[in-house]
Amino acid sequence: MLRFPLLGITLVCALLPAQDKATAYKNARLLPGGQPPIENGVLVVGGGKVLAIGGADTAIPAGAAVVDCAGKTITPGLVDASFRASNSADMNENGDEVTPHLRVLDTLDPDHRSFARARAAGVTAVHVMPGSRNVIGGLGCVVKTFGTDPRAMVLKEDASLRITMGSEPSQENRPIRGGGVDSIYYRRPTTRMGVVWEVRRAFFDAKAAMEQTAGAPPAAPNPGIEVLTRVLKGQLTAVTTARSEQDLRTALRIAAEFGYRTILEEAQDAHVVIDELVAAKTTVMLGAPSATVVAGSAGGDGADPRSATVRLLADRGIPFVITTGSNLQSLDLVREAMFAVRNGLSATRALDAITIEPARLLGIDQRTGSLAVGKDADFVVWSTDPLDPASVAESVHIDGLSVLALR
Amino acid sequence: MNSKLSVSLVAWAIAIAAAASATGQDIVAVKASKILPVSGPAIDDGVVLMQNGRIVKIGKATEVEVPWSAKVIDATGKTVMPTWVLAHSQSGQRGMNENMQNVPWLSVADAIDPASAWFEDCLRNGVGTVHVLPGNQTLLGGQGMVVRPFGRTVEDMAVAGNTGIKLSLMAQGGGRLQQIRKLRRALSDLREYLADFDRRKAEFEKEKAAGAIAADKNWTEEIDRTKKPGVDLVQKKTKGWLFVPSFAEMDEALRLTQELDLQIVLGSNIDEAMAMITRLGKPVVLDETLEYFETDEETQKEKKHCTAKMLADAGIPFALSLGAGGPTAYPWWQIGTCMRNGVDRQKAIEALTLVPAKMLGLDSQVGSLAEGKLGNLQILTGDPLAATSWVETVVLEGEIVYERKNDPRLQYLFAAEKDKEKKAAGPGKTEPNQPEAPKTEAPKTEAPKPATPAGTGGKPGEGK
Repeated sequence: MLRFPLLGITLVCALLPAQDKATAYKNARLLPGGQPPIENGVLVVGGGKVLAIGGADTAIPAGAAVVDCAGKTITPGLVDASFRASNSADMNENGDEVTPHLRVLDTLDPDHRSFARARAAGVTAVHVMPGSRNVIGGLGCVVKTFGTDPRAMVLKEDASLRITMGSEPSQENRPIRGGGVDSIYYRRPTTRMGVVWEVRRAFFDAKAAMEQTAGAPPAAPNPGIEVLTRVLKGQLTAVTTARSEQDLRTALRIAAEFGYRTILEEAQDAHVVIDELVAAKTTVMLGAPSATVVAGSAGGDGADPRSATVRLLADRGIPFVITTGSNLQSLDLVREAMFAVRNGLSATRALDAITIEPARLLGIDQRTGSLAVGKDADFVVWSTDPLDPASVAESVHIDGLSVLALR
Repeated sequence: MNSKLSVSLVAWAIAIAAAASATGQDIVAVKASKILPVSGPAIDDGVVLMQNGRIVKIGKATEVEVPWSAKVIDATGKTVMPTWVLAHSQSGQRGMNENMQNVPWLSVADAIDPASAWFEDCLRNGVGTVHVLPGNQTLLGGQGMVVRPFGRTVEDMAVAGNTGIKLSLMAQGGGRLQQIRKLRRALSDLREYLADFDRRKAEFEKEKAAGAIAADKNWTEEIDRTKKPGVDLVQKKTKGWLFVPSFAEMDEALRLTQELDLQIVLGSNIDEAMAMITRLGKPVVLDETLEYFETDEETQKEKKHCTAKMLADAGIPFALSLGAGGPTAYPWWQIGTCMRNGVDRQKAIEALTLVPAKMLGLDSQVGSLAEGKLGNLQILTGDPLAATSWVETVVLEGEIVYERKNDPRLQYLFAAEKDKEKKAAGPGKTEPNQPEAPKTEAPKTEAPKPATPAGTGGKPGEGK
């Protein structure tokens, strides 16, 4: 019955000599993610996988260790679809403003404190993207929040291509050493117009490369063009960071112009462009619903966050997930969901928006995001209802391994 | 006998008429499914009866008789508890930090902005009593006052004045030691001034006794007005509220508490000073940041500290502060943070009610629902600590001062559909002109003073 994970195993096997033995968590309230709650439930894990989940009558394998979780709530490990994993200096390549081929995976530091904080907050999988200083920043990846080797943490390489709208890529681009606007020291772009143009030019070049007629001399290999081509062909998801109404509209317009699909990230002004979002069938990664101050430069680009937004997204049937995003003020992911509930979202939807929904969106739902037989044993035991302000993640498990003590 | 009776009858009639003309509704009863008095066990299906702005009776609905003339506030299905009390706040002022550092004669009464959005937030969050003090960027920064977050003028808002002087050990441009030196210097200047004053006065009396000064001449000089508050401080006639930004200043703070009547207001990073704070043994005010991380220089591993938990473990009572924005502005979030870190629920609730009330010397007035205290209460949609609970109504001194259904800011934030005009207008322009609004917002000419004994806290001079 015991199945060992086939990927990223070295780590798990090395660290988990006791994994052979099954463990049963009983008497817990189970919130499996995407399924109705199970009162007095039983969760059996072993070999880093979920072996069984069900009500009080679920069979517990002979010899299994039994943990009594009376009064506790168990959820899947949380999935943060937009997570700051490292310091910004290492996430923004200043050599160029369009760097589609750079991979954030190459800079991930598993020992970085952000991962320890994420684990303590019950987050077991995160989508990390390059920083927002470049117009096209590069390739994001999805990793688990524990590991010694980033490779072994990977759930999905090349999960996304990050594009940033608004003033962030241009804000700090001012002449240094007293150079004029035509100085080589003047990093570009310097305006919103310039930002939009950089995106257009990049996709225009990619389109031109795609449409190159057969028999023409092969173009010089260009890794950036290759990545953009995958976006245009629908093989790679574009994630566009846009906060204000203007930037959200621009993001949708450019995507429609070149015929690619994009997820809108942060999206504090989603409430203003709600009809456009419905029409474009766009998914939203809503950044830090608790925050009253929008992240990013230039005063959050004038975005006007409203308490109503999360409820509006739900009521209008727009697929969305809740993230901590790039806001330095963002709270633990579960608290962001809690604020969404305060603002009118149902508790079930809020929990789904930080578990199974982001897992589906990121294409890792076969592995994690809900408690189901055969999935990775990524789960959290909470002291009480996780959406209670006083709740604490008492134990957090990744591939069955308890990771809180490893802080 | 007969005349005595008629006199008392007339007096009674006048009292009724006066009360009726003063507020229209003299007796207010709040009927709630749950009452959390804080100072006692919860009451299911209870009533809080208020008269002349004070609580006269609190108990189960079956046991409290509600007079026919009472205005009844129906809080069925809701929870009632006292409004929160803040022991230290710098918000709600225009310019909380005076550039000149040694200004003990200034008062926040001249800086408080009754129209500040922060006071609106206070009501929205169920805060009913705020001790406003000058900012932390100061040395001897001026005097504080206790206000309620409701009223059109500072006088309307005033609850108690002369609450003490703000002192700060936070370095102002110079170093930490320079700040200590400046504070020491300021205090010794005050003491020298006082000694000189006393010496000259004694000489005068001596010369008068010796006949060198005419017998009908008296000592008329008074303590300089700009020095008086500082002199009171060094004579322990007035309290000081000392901001201690971190553990490093705690040593000096302890020495200062030996000479002055001080309340300590802590910064967030205090774990190294816990032994000293324990030795101090007095209640302290905590920074709004209750959790902070420290990185081990060797291992780069982080350790999380919670100030409230450290103090609870040390047995030191503490008052919580609220932030000016973000989640720390919510009392339920602050209390939830305490509880997440292992602080007992009741102790955390007291840190925003009974403990600050006591620190302010207002524990006979606010901080719990009890007979004789001010009729300050909030009606919540659910448990005060649940994230899903909202403050529905705030009653201060028996008067409704906030109703969620008439809150323009919340209406703006929860506007269901995009509305460009509303967005352009901002929250101020969407204020609804509800029929109740003029009544609840009518300015009061005089707030009852906390010192007024129960039952006589009427509002003289409030003719309408």
